[in-house]
Amino acid sequence: GEAAGESDEGSGEKRVFKVAFNQNAAHPQAQAILALSDELEAQTDGQYSLELYPDATLGTQEATIEQIQSGTIDFAFVAGSLLESFSSDVAVVNLPYIYESPEHQMEVLNDDAIVGDLYDSLLEDDIKVLAAAHAGVRNMYTDKPIESPDDLAGYKIRVIGSDTNVRMMELMGGSAAPMAMGEVYTAIQSGVIDGAENNEVTYFDVSHYEVAPFYSATKHLMLPDFFIASPKTWDSLDEETRELFEELLDGAVEDVLHNFAVAAEEAQEKAEDGGAEFVDADAEAFREAVLPLHEEVVTTSAMEEIYDAIESARG
Amino acid sequence: MTDPLVLSGILIGGLVLLLALGVPVSIAIGLPSAVCMLLLAGFENGAITSMQQMFRGANTFVLVAVPFFVLAGAIMNTGGIAERLINLARVMVGRTPAGLLHTNVIANAIFGTVSGSAVATAAAVGSTMTPMLKKEGYDPAMSAATNVSAAPSGMLIPPSNTLIIYSLAAGGTSIGALFLAGYIPGILWALGCSAVVFFYARRHPELRGNAFPGWRTAFVVFLRALPSLGLIVVAIGGIIAGFFTPTEGSAIAVVYALVLSMIYRTVRVRDLPGILYDACRTSAIAIFLIAVSSIMGYVMTYARIPQLIAETLFGWTDSKVVVLLIMMVVLLLIGIPLDPTPAILIFVPIFLPIAVSYGIDPVHFGIMMVFNLAIAVISPPSAPVLFVGTQVAKVRLEPVIRRMVPFLVVLVILLFVIVFVPDLSLWLPRLAGLIN
Amino acid sequence: MTTFRHWLDRVLRVLCIALFAILVLLVVWQVFTRLVLNAPSAWSEEAARYTFVWVSLLGIAIAVGEKADVVMDFLVEKLPVSLQRVADVLAYLCVLAFVSYVMIYGGFLQVVASWTATNALLPLTAGQLYLVVPIAGIIISFYLILHIVHALSPGYTGREGFTENPEAATA
Ligand code: NA
Ligand code: NA
Repeated sequence: GEAAGESDEGSGEKRVFKVAFNQNAAHPQAQAILALSDELEAQTDGQYSLELYPDATLGTQEATIEQIQSGTIDFAFVAGSLLESFSSDVAVVNLPYIYESPEHQMEVLNDDAIVGDLYDSLLEDDIKVLAAAHAGVRNMYTDKPIESPDDLAGYKIRVIGSDTNVRMMELMGGSAAPMAMGEVYTAIQSGVIDGAENNEVTYFDVSHYEVAPFYSATKHLMLPDFFIASPKTWDSLDEETRELFEELLDGAVEDVLHNFAVAAEEAQEKAEDGGAEFVDADAEAFREAVLPLHEEVVTTSAMEEIYDAIESARG
Repeated sequence: MTDPLVLSGILIGGLVLLLALGVPVSIAIGLPSAVCMLLLAGFENGAITSMQQMFRGANTFVLVAVPFFVLAGAIMNTGGIAERLINLARVMVGRTPAGLLHTNVIANAIFGTVSGSAVATAAAVGSTMTPMLKKEGYDPAMSAATNVSAAPSGMLIPPSNTLIIYSLAAGGTSIGALFLAGYIPGILWALGCSAVVFFYARRHPELRGNAFPGWRTAFVVFLRALPSLGLIVVAIGGIIAGFFTPTEGSAIAVVYALVLSMIYRTVRVRDLPGILYDACRTSAIAIFLIAVSSIMGYVMTYARIPQLIAETLFGWTDSKVVVLLIMMVVLLLIGIPLDPTPAILIFVPIFLPIAVSYGIDPVHFGIMMVFNLAIAVISPPSAPVLFVGTQVAKVRLEPVIRRMVPFLVVLVILLFVIVFVPDLSLWLPRLAGLIN
Repeated sequence: MTTFRHWLDRVLRVLCIALFAILVLLVVWQVFTRLVLNAPSAWSEEAARYTFVWVSLLGIAIAVGEKADVVMDFLVEKLPVSLQRVADVLAYLCVLAFVSYVMIYGGFLQVVASWTATNALLPLTAGQLYLVVPIAGIIISFYLILHIVHALSPGYTGREGFTENPEAATA
């Protein structure tokens, strides 16, 4: 941004890039980006480093994207669903039951041949997608085990506010109640809704295990996060630095994948200590139920191409 | 020019100068913040970022309850619902000196318990009780001061949105433990306000109250008030029973009040636009203040001012007591221009690790922080609760501020009791086995 | 100028009342769909939040127009009328500076930047939802200019911020 851009380019002056993040500094993605910053600083003799602003202190993710566009901040992690506002084709990578594993997800979403054009289309809106990062596997939690679609009958489950998510929950057998994350705890506690869905790390971090103790492995969503840059910042870097940055990001993507597996396990243990029960579910039955949604969402040829590529990359 | 020290100077100096000039408080916060944003991000980005933060500050579903409760109160007043509640309250607390002021404190604690928003609570209780208090000859400034002072108790008594935000910023501190920890401090808050009212009543013998009118009259008054009480049962009961969220409950209260007033034939359809219009203007002032304070919160984060404060203030001492005292003073001051949400998000990541290194439990720290910021939301000059409280009571700000001094003194004393007696916060969650 | 002001007052009043009524209906609808239809509405909360921001920003324009925004004027009140005039004009210029820079200029930039960004739940773009900011900014500026003209006129008798009797301002 202009704040960081006070120094003349190439003069060797120190630049500290601002990175916005909406979760806490212990989150797997945060840890990976802090490690990247250390590496970047070491390899550029202290010229470049990153400063992380966790806990959404620079605003919600929507606001973060706007600041990336204007160049007030340099980098951010944002949820894939938010990028649908700028290119509706992004919806294909946010579909439920489209990836068979976190590794599969990372492989296809960081393959230029598959998603290069999709990411480039966001440049028109001043958003430079640098990498896709794993953001956990979302499962269902409520006051009883959810093993099959029948178990969700009459259950109101909080989902992220979007047509796709609402439809997904209907197909899975429940009804969708979009609401702000901060209101979910009391809404479950008082019975306004019956549960919500998220990954293990968030499930523990936001204390939802205290009010919805049954966490069922429906494995329905693997929403990717994207590490995006302000084109102003990115274009101000020389070729060499950009290559170094991209190389370090490849490592960071691997780090996130590894950190997430560890963090999910730790979160599960801590939630279990707090009284939560982790139960199995018939994920295949849910997947069958949700499949019609794929056809409903994949409507353009660009989406079809990406969809087919993702399908054929299954192991 | 982008040195955090210079920016802090602009923020504080600008605020003081503009307030002295008689600029509206919202602008006295907003203009220096926008100037800092301009210096930090350039002319174009400074404008666009300030605007974004302002918009986001208001774009919160919990705040939607504010105009609704103001509206429900206004309908009740025009519609004779309030009148029936007044008569009931008079019968119930008639003999207690300054009984209606105590009623006001209790109403705030009960209402705040379900709503959790101090502004919404002050709006709801204030607009319902103002006519009662006026009719019974209470000093309007003292009435408003009592209402404003008691309103934040619900930020501590669970459920509490503020404690949920603290839990998020503190990286997963148990919300259940925080909620249990908030009970005693929240009740102490209400008791503190009642104590001030008690001593006020002793100096005002004219508020001695009326004799009990007899059971027969009392029963009639109670029956007549039943439909009006229904509003409280439906709104509060519906929230507790899980039929709706507090914000939804506020809309239900509007509809209930409206229907009842139509039945009593005290509100005509052509009165409605005027009532809506007044409620809209009253709540807008408070919302604008909250919106604009987000710009200041952003500037502080972006310029790393909290880090500067931490480095400057905690470097020279090793004493846990001194560190805690400094933190509480900083938060009290910072919380005056900032809304609790940005204040928590900005300061928890910096203050909590320091506090924990001195052996303070994160749950205890959360309670002292929210207690502290609850004082800040009623501290002049920048206090949305204070403004809503004076607006619904239709009184001037200055006399209310004067009347609030004893409340603020008691609450600050209580804050330090909460800080230095951890058991007041930790006893209940420990009893429930939620913390060690 | 006065005719236009009367016309603007009326339009604002009608808009505010209509939006506020819609706001009530939206939230009641949300409860109704969840409790009675057992099919929670996905878009009503989003719509309510944006309607709320619109009502609040138009409401603050009304408050500025009626000089109902709260100020701490106990210092200025003690000044002689000639100095009160200076303080008043300076204070209005400060508000004008904020409103033109943040609400009109920043608002305009944001509306343009996000004019095509779709909303996940509403059939409106982000730019359209932000439109209220520059609009409210322009209305507030108009009222501020009227207040400045009044403060500079011979008829000025001193600071008249938040009135002793706000009911009078409502009438
Ligand atoms: Na509460
Ligand atoms: Na405040």
